[in-house]
Amino acid sequence: MRGNRAHNEIERETGSGTDLWSVIIAPGIWAVHFLVCYVAAAIFCEKFGRDADLGGIRLTVIGATLIALLGIGWSTIRLWRVRGRSLTDDDFEYEHNTPEERHRFLSHVALMLCVLSAVAVLYVTIPMLYLTTCR
Amino acid sequence: MTVDKDAETAQLQRVWDNPKGWRALSDVNNSVIGLWYIATAFAFMLFGGVLALIIRVQLFVPDNTLISAELYNQTFTLHGTVMMFLFAVPIFEAVAILILPGMLGARDLPFPRLSAFGYWCYLIGGVFVCGSIFFNAAPDAGWFMYPPLSTEQSGIGADIWLLGLSFIEVASIAAAVELIVGVLKCRAPGMHINLTPLYGWYVLVVGAMILFAFPPLIAGDILFEMERLLGWPFFDVTRGGDPILWQHLFWIFGHPEVYIIFLPAIALLAMIVPTFAQRPITGYSWIVLSALGTGFLSFGLWVHHMFTTGLPSISLGFFSAASEAVAIPTGIQIFAFIATVMLGSVVRSVPMLFCLGALAVFIIGGLTGVMVAVAPFDFQVHDTYFIVAHLHYTLIGGMLFPVMAGICYYYPLIMGKPLSRKLGIWSFWLMFIGFNTAFLPMHLTGMLGMPRRVFTYGADRGWTELNMLSSVGAFVFAAGFLLLAWDCLRPKKREPQVKRNVWNAGTLEWAARYGDTWGMRSIPEVNSRYPLWDDPDFMRKIDAGEGLLADAQEGRRETLVTSTLDARPVQVLRVGGPDWLPMIAAIGLGAVFIFMTFKLWLLTAAGGVLFLVAVLRWLWVGTAEIPEKDSKHIGQGIVLPLYVSGTRSTGWWAMFITMTGDLTAFLALLFGYFFFWTIHPNFPPVGIEGPGWFWPLVAGLLMGLSWGSTLAARFVNGSGKPATARLLLVLGMLTAILGGLALMAGPWTTGLDPTSHAYPAIVWALVVWIVAHLATGVLMQGYCFARSLYKKMTPTYDADLWNVTLFWHFVGFCGVLCALVIGAFPLLT
Repeated sequence: MRGNRAHNEIERETGSGTDLWSVIIAPGIWAVHFLVCYVAAAIFCEKFGRDADLGGIRLTVIGATLIALLGIGWSTIRLWRVRGRSLTDDDFEYEHNTPEERHRFLSHVALMLCVLSAVAVLYVTIPMLYLTTCR
Repeated sequence: MTVDKDAETAQLQRVWDNPKGWRALSDVNNSVIGLWYIATAFAFMLFGGVLALIIRVQLFVPDNTLISAELYNQTFTLHGTVMMFLFAVPIFEAVAILILPGMLGARDLPFPRLSAFGYWCYLIGGVFVCGSIFFNAAPDAGWFMYPPLSTEQSGIGADIWLLGLSFIEVASIAAAVELIVGVLKCRAPGMHINLTPLYGWYVLVVGAMILFAFPPLIAGDILFEMERLLGWPFFDVTRGGDPILWQHLFWIFGHPEVYIIFLPAIALLAMIVPTFAQRPITGYSWIVLSALGTGFLSFGLWVHHMFTTGLPSISLGFFSAASEAVAIPTGIQIFAFIATVMLGSVVRSVPMLFCLGALAVFIIGGLTGVMVAVAPFDFQVHDTYFIVAHLHYTLIGGMLFPVMAGICYYYPLIMGKPLSRKLGIWSFWLMFIGFNTAFLPMHLTGMLGMPRRVFTYGADRGWTELNMLSSVGAFVFAAGFLLLAWDCLRPKKREPQVKRNVWNAGTLEWAARYGDTWGMRSIPEVNSRYPLWDDPDFMRKIDAGEGLLADAQEGRRETLVTSTLDARPVQVLRVGGPDWLPMIAAIGLGAVFIFMTFKLWLLTAAGGVLFLVAVLRWLWVGTAEIPEKDSKHIGQGIVLPLYVSGTRSTGWWAMFITMTGDLTAFLALLFGYFFFWTIHPNFPPVGIEGPGWFWPLVAGLLMGLSWGSTLAARFVNGSGKPATARLLLVLGMLTAILGGLALMAGPWTTGLDPTSHAYPAIVWALVVWIVAHLATGVLMQGYCFARSLYKKMTPTYDADLWNVTLFWHFVGFCGVLCALVIGAFPLLT
């Protein structure tokens, strides 16, 4: 097939730092944000009744969203640097057998998870922007 | 030095030989257990299929009297239960146990006896649950067992469901532990995490999901069974309970479960599609991303099963949004598969037919999923046949067709014989056409207002023709399935054995030779995703024994353990050989659950003792064994240790993973506590004092002390003073026992009656949970004490103590948290 593709490794600067835990930082932030929003709103509506105005909780949710987006943003910038370093060789397959390649692969996955998590965080915030009461 | 390669092969053969005759039942090797597992799962599936056909016959004409309403209730409940719990989830475990080691280049999974134990639990529990219908005692409240219907109407069926399935969940968690550690620690040297087969990635994600999804159901089952058995009113509104709590706990499990079923099946597509497109998968990292993303997002969807329970619209909004978001990663995977097909040159084959059929059917199910994720639309079709159609499109497109593709694809690898191409094509088209004939009309039946789970309907409703069509389709579908089943089972003595790597696949599992029970002749160095395509010399090197661990000199079954990210060899792991103990332990545990259903307490206790003795013996004889030498040569000049303890050992990780699941179950119970606080204006209710702050405080301190002594024992033992360590362990046992008593003293002395109200009931439930864990912890401390006394655990070889300490980290944390919540939280409100 492609001959000894795997053996023609390109030597790059060896990076470390991106492990499986840092891959799940962004979706983890999404999960915490989701729980905070849901639990806060559920308790609020249960304790203040169905006619309660959501204004009392809206700022909490928007605040949580900003914090979540900041966290995801921080993670994104960290990972963007890894990606920037590798733009030169036009490789998006990440199929070489070196620790550096593994590092860049995990960084790439983590970076895309940042985007997905940010989108999901925004999605979850939308209902809070147009609903007015607990009903 | 010349090595006698033939002698090596003969030795490997001896060491890995499957036991013969009736001893075959004591086998634990993944290649055998996996096969049993798959056969059992399909047997249950056929049983569930027969139930489905009975349903379709009953609904064929209006006002049918073929079966009674009661039997119909049992039939559809058992159909759902069997398909979800006895087929869809276990088939994942079955297929993974069978093929994962080969894909990763391991000789076996790290805990073969655990797989065997899980299998026997599954078999016993499954037969128990299925058998109930022959005694007219099957569960009859739907596969999600909603109270109060299931608490007040159901007979023993509900207990069979609760206890039988709790028992089977043990098998799922066992498999999760086994498979996560397998993927992370047992990959062939050089198989960096970015070169791991996609199937491995999916298994990793699904294993982790099981740890967070199944425990809430176990917690729910415990509460439910306490209500049915002891009258503790968790779901009884008249005494402060709430049936919605069950719905939450069930669906926190139930929705991720859908993805637990779907992801491993789609993982099979990720292995099959590249083979028949004859090119590497497109967008490897995108698929990993979407598997991880789906895994996370799937936990934010559970309330979309509860859109009509009257929750505030803002809650519905959050879950509706997340339900739409999950379509993004799911879509990415599908596009990656389609792109792979488009960029490659497709080889026409039966597995590929099933793959394409799966994509088509699943996409329809996914699109109706996006529809019902919109709350107002869901209000209209909730509990109608539209939902039945939607869920069957997702499950059959997302699970059954991919599994069928997997069966056709891997059959030659496992059985050494080909399947008939002609029968395969016939089977596919019968199934595909039959499925769509049966389920496409159900969208309409649902829109016309037919509710699910009704045993019959009037002729004037206008549902007759659609139902007839569905019933005909169901039988065509069944015929297609039976055709494939026949093809798999028919004797093939006269057919030639298939050649090795019959599909010209690129991944490692196809390097195996049919009939080799040891996996590969030698463990190769892997340096690409498709080693069989990239290195023409690959198979020769394996067969010539040029890889690692080409011998089994000491007569022990061994596999390599490598580092998590870069797969550098770190240890030679000795894995268990044939053994009866896993089966005996499963019989003991099965007896506990089964006899408890019938309230036969003496037999339950006897089962418990049998289980305990079997497990203790299993641990004592077969785990953390001190090797005869520290390290061994595995070839190519590499020397690896035979015994590793602490965070680098597979056992430590298994404990960590198990306890993560256990912690989730505890958090689910705590969720129950705070759920009751949320719905009650006064919580604790007026007039109920207790458990007070004093006894929880004492209990918290004692439990903390026990935790500390265990940790100290580990340090002291490590620094070469085993006698002091033993003393500390005794101190740990004493303080743990006292801590447990103090914890119970709180609610006991303040007279909390768990049958009076949900508050005392949930406090007692938390206390009982912690006390059960303390008892286990004491047993473990005692075990380490004995190990140390008998010199089976020394300052150097201290894996037992490391793992027990890890257990205590979790129990200590949960115990202190429990004391804080029940003691301090009432002071705040």
